[in-house]
Amino acid sequence: MRMLPNDVLPLTMVTPGQTVKLLDICAERKLRRRLTELGLTTGTELRVMQDQGGPVLIAIRDTRLALGRRMAQRILVDFRQEMPE
Amino acid sequence: MTEATIALAGNPNTGKSTIFNILTGSSQHIGNWPGTTVERKEGTLKDNRVPISVVDLPGIYSLAAYSPEEAIARDFIVIARPALVVNVVDVANLERNLYLTVQLMETETPLIIVLNMMDVASERGLSIDTQTLSRHLGDLPVIPAVASRGQGLESLRQMLTALVASLPQSSNGLVRQLDPTGVCCRNPNPPSVVIPDIIHRPRVISAASPASPYQIQRQVELAFARTIVAQPTLISYDQAIEAEISRLRAVIEQVPALTTSCSARWLAIQLLQGDEATLAVVEKAEGGAGVRRILTGSLTRLEQFYDDDIDIIMADYRYSFVNQLVRSVISRRGQMMTLSDKIDRVVTHRYLGIPIFLTIMWVVFKVTTDLTAPFLDWIDRVISGPLTRWVIVSLGIAGLDGTWVESLFVEGIIAGVGGVLVFVPVLMSLYLALALLEDSGYMARAAFVMDRLMNLLGLQGKSFLPMIVGFGCTVPALYATRTLDNEKDRILTGLLVPFMSCGARLPVYILVASIFFPDHTGLVIFGLYLTGIVTALVLGLILKGTLFKGEEEVALLMELPPYHWPNLKTVWFYLWERTAAFIHNAWTIILATSIVIWLLMAMPSGGQITFADTELNESAFAAISRAIAPVFAPLGFGQWEASGALVTGLVAKEVVVSTLAQTYNVVEGEAAMESTMFHDDLTEIGASFVTATADTVKSIPLIIGIDLFDEENETTPSELKVPIRQSFEAASRGHGSLAALAFMVFILLYTPCMATIVAERQVLGRRWMWLSIIGQLALAWLAAWVVFQGGLLLGLG
Repeated sequence: MRMLPNDVLPLTMVTPGQTVKLLDICAERKLRRRLTELGLTTGTELRVMQDQGGPVLIAIRDTRLALGRRMAQRILVDFRQEMPE
Repeated sequence: MTEATIALAGNPNTGKSTIFNILTGSSQHIGNWPGTTVERKEGTLKDNRVPISVVDLPGIYSLAAYSPEEAIARDFIVIARPALVVNVVDVANLERNLYLTVQLMETETPLIIVLNMMDVASERGLSIDTQTLSRHLGDLPVIPAVASRGQGLESLRQMLTALVASLPQSSNGLVRQLDPTGVCCRNPNPPSVVIPDIIHRPRVISAASPASPYQIQRQVELAFARTIVAQPTLISYDQAIEAEISRLRAVIEQVPALTTSCSARWLAIQLLQGDEATLAVVEKAEGGAGVRRILTGSLTRLEQFYDDDIDIIMADYRYSFVNQLVRSVISRRGQMMTLSDKIDRVVTHRYLGIPIFLTIMWVVFKVTTDLTAPFLDWIDRVISGPLTRWVIVSLGIAGLDGTWVESLFVEGIIAGVGGVLVFVPVLMSLYLALALLEDSGYMARAAFVMDRLMNLLGLQGKSFLPMIVGFGCTVPALYATRTLDNEKDRILTGLLVPFMSCGARLPVYILVASIFFPDHTGLVIFGLYLTGIVTALVLGLILKGTLFKGEEEVALLMELPPYHWPNLKTVWFYLWERTAAFIHNAWTIILATSIVIWLLMAMPSGGQITFADTELNESAFAAISRAIAPVFAPLGFGQWEASGALVTGLVAKEVVVSTLAQTYNVVEGEAAMESTMFHDDLTEIGASFVTATADTVKSIPLIIGIDLFDEENETTPSELKVPIRQSFEAASRGHGSLAALAFMVFILLYTPCMATIVAERQVLGRRWMWLSIIGQLALAWLAAWVVFQGGLLLGLG
């Protein structure tokens, strides 16, 4: 099920400190697979730790990952904060 | 001859190297995986009756074989077939680590799991049920460990010994072969013992109470007794995928050439994931031609069904399996901000990040240059003093004093090899700094901070460190490129590093610039450094658009591992291994070159003079230099003395000044040959070492700008200035300053030294080494030509 378009944002638009849910990676297959294998699967929660215009630092599944800016722009997330737990 | 080979596999930053170091001790040696720039580490299991060879596979996140590291690991496991794979798993990061475990299990290779970093996990409030984990992973042996404190590794060692000892001998084993032209059989020495497809299933052994060797032996025997022919499928994918796996498997099983080497299910999974290399191997095998047709059908059906790439769907399945598994074995006490996160808030901060990084780099740079300078002098003094004296005395006893043999030893071998040994303190201190930065976790942060800037040059953040190190010494800088995780970045950075003007080039600039530009010496030298940087930038942009065109877009994708105190053992091994590797690789090539240069200088070009008693300007060296000299005539320095200095400069830039002095016939202060007692020499060596250490301690405050040394001004001997000036003026027909500038530009841009070439061969491989040597020579000539001819055109000089 797809979210409403106004809830979908690229990772670079997320305020640091926010927890979001990964929706999609708009990249060619090779990069998509690399990211998926690092744990960026659809539906996974991630938190933006640091984003100051350069690479983006995220926390996902106990890992801290640094993503180059252009890569981060291709990662679409659902920023609605309704995750219980 | 080793009995069996075991491999260590796991994610990066799991403590795999620490485990490898403890298991193998000093028996290890490092090299490269054939045809790659990826480091290969191998050793033998310490204190073991049966010699077991241990291979440390590159740290990887997946077996997808998209990077050279992954391809190496996969091929080693599937083709070379180690007797056993030890999968090192970081408990504090269990999900992502187990993803690789699942892939390793799919290869149906015998597997043991080491759950490392149990201490970090408990600090973070995680507790793990190892029994349940083992059960869910098909009863794989699971050993909890804290590698940094050596905990759990004794159990691992015992288990490895027991398992390998109980392996069937090679005669009973199934001999595995795979098309040698296949997936890339990179392993030159396949293990001698090959084992059939069986999974060992001893019970979990806890780190707290290591089982006795007898117990382990018993468990192993039980495991073999329970050998299961058809291994139960660990992870089943969706029905649709499983159906296609079975379909492909059925076809593959009809190709005997394939199933003797790999599991049919694994091959089917690889094919569905779109692995080109596997498909090529399958099609090449006898009777494998029909597989592609079946595969195309399977992929079409699946893509219609899922409307997405199948490999991504399969990766998703593995993750959801792992996710459920982790939920059932790990309990968390609250989510908290870790200490690492708190440190990162400062260290990766927008405004603080770069100043912090530059401060650390400044310290590293100062440490490698200033702190080691006293030791450098010490080695130099020991070699040119006592060592030389001993050799002369020994040769004298053999009745060879004053002969050409003495000259060969003293002026050839000792001088040449000594010139390399003086690099050792620089290398060691640099490796120490690198090891501390790497092992503590800071290196990844540095790359994060510098990424934005380096992106402009087509490189990523991690390339910055080797560049900075290059201002100290090109050799360790080249080795530092090994910290880059992408082959293309490694090569591109390695090609650019020599343009960072190293410390050894500085004395040449000082000498020449002070003669021709006495009022602007500093400015000229600064300009040369800048020229080097600009050259690297421009060349980087050009290479990015040409040789490396079409290569994957450079983008940072990197884990920031949690900070931790560097492990002394790991740091020591890092330091020791790499220094030893350098010496090992350098001495032959340097020795050979030193002897050649000596021979050329000793051989007369005419007939009247005797061997080894030749005046330099009548030697073969001068003759060769004269022959080369016309090449440099358009650059303004066509006199043979200059080209001679450039030739020896190929050996090391340090000797350019002394060659100039020799060729212009300026007698350097000969070391007086006083006869000393052997123990006096030893005392002198000891005393000067103490002085060197004291000087090093004194130079620590230099890092922050406090100078405890008395002013020491080295002045250029004026007797050298006049002939150099005259000769440059004559060769350039009155444009001496321009010619001198062109000469310095040439010194800046051509191959720094012999040791650099050795390092390039080791790090970049032979092909890139030659490209670098030839490219730099061409570039140096062109740039010097532009400086001289351009200057003439503009009416300068």
